[in-house]
Amino acid sequence: MTDAKQFEVFMRNYQNMVFSTAMRLLTNQSEAEDVTQEVFLRAYERFGELQGSPTVGGWLKTVATNLSLNHLSRYRSRWTFFSEIFTGDPDADGEPEMEFADESNAGEELEARDRHAVVEQALQKLPTAQRVPLVLYHLEGLRYEEIAGKLGVSLGKVKTDISRGREALRKKLRLTLELENNLTGNA
Amino acid sequence: MNPDYNKQLEAAISRELKALPELTAPAVLANRVMATLEQRARVPWYRRSWQTWPVAMQAASLVVLLALFGGLCLGGWQLSQTGTATLALHRVGEWFSGLSMIGNTFNVLVSAAVLVVKKLGTGVIATCLVAAGIGYAMCVGLGTVYFRLAFAKR
Repeated sequence: MTDAKQFEVFMRNYQNMVFSTAMRLLTNQSEAEDVTQEVFLRAYERFGELQGSPTVGGWLKTVATNLSLNHLSRYRSRWTFFSEIFTGDPDADGEPEMEFADESNAGEELEARDRHAVVEQALQKLPTAQRVPLVLYHLEGLRYEEIAGKLGVSLGKVKTDISRGREALRKKLRLTLELENNLTGNA
Repeated sequence: MNPDYNKQLEAAISRELKALPELTAPAVLANRVMATLEQRARVPWYRRSWQTWPVAMQAASLVVLLALFGGLCLGGWQLSQTGTATLALHRVGEWFSGLSMIGNTFNVLVSAAVLVVKKLGTGVIATCLVAAGIGYAMCVGLGTVYFRLAFAKR
């Protein structure tokens, strides 16, 4: 098999992973495609080293994450100011919350619909300031300190944003926690 | 906030997010990357970045550059040993004398601007500043509206 053919096979094996990383950080299909393309063009330059390496997945994810964050800071930072002017309450950002049935049978409703699609949609609707650290923490496995370093913000802000993001997701997904149930039960 | 609640919430969100399957990349993406790679491969080696040159060419270019640098250093040293260097410096000084004329013109323009400001008085200047401020605020406002409309998540 020629190098090009081998690379094509390699790319088809990893393209979904890279695209998912970019898409969840950028929430924009064409930007995520551009980032994915750039990741694989870089991978081609180091294909000799990457081929057969056990850390290839991690390398691709790291490059995809870094390029996505660069993209966000380069093309969107100028708009952050505007986007945050009217976003006092991150949950009340003018977007209609997803419609669910009564809370009592929300779980069943979610089961009936495509649960993953709903979670994905809820994640993509979070404000960038909450979604990005949340994805980096839960999906990319970075620590708070690493996220703060990558985003160039304070540790406190990262923790606050992640906490708000989780709370917003909980509301959007109508997640019920055991503790809440216990509290309600005791009351 | 209750630390137990936070822990439970973290675990619940982690469970939800980690259960997400990978998104499917568009089918055309792989073809796009391969087409770009083919296009790059057609570019002759000397027009690509130096890191991608053949090793022999990298070595040869390094030797040539080192030789050029050595020649430049030697030439400079030779020049400093003769009176030619002083003459050359004098010539260069003459070329740059034109710059002082530009400086003088700039000074005259600044003086004229100061004179105009003094003549107009503070009222007119304050009005101009307020108008500029309002204009800026309008740009920010319109930019915000544009942003909210263009990037609104649907």
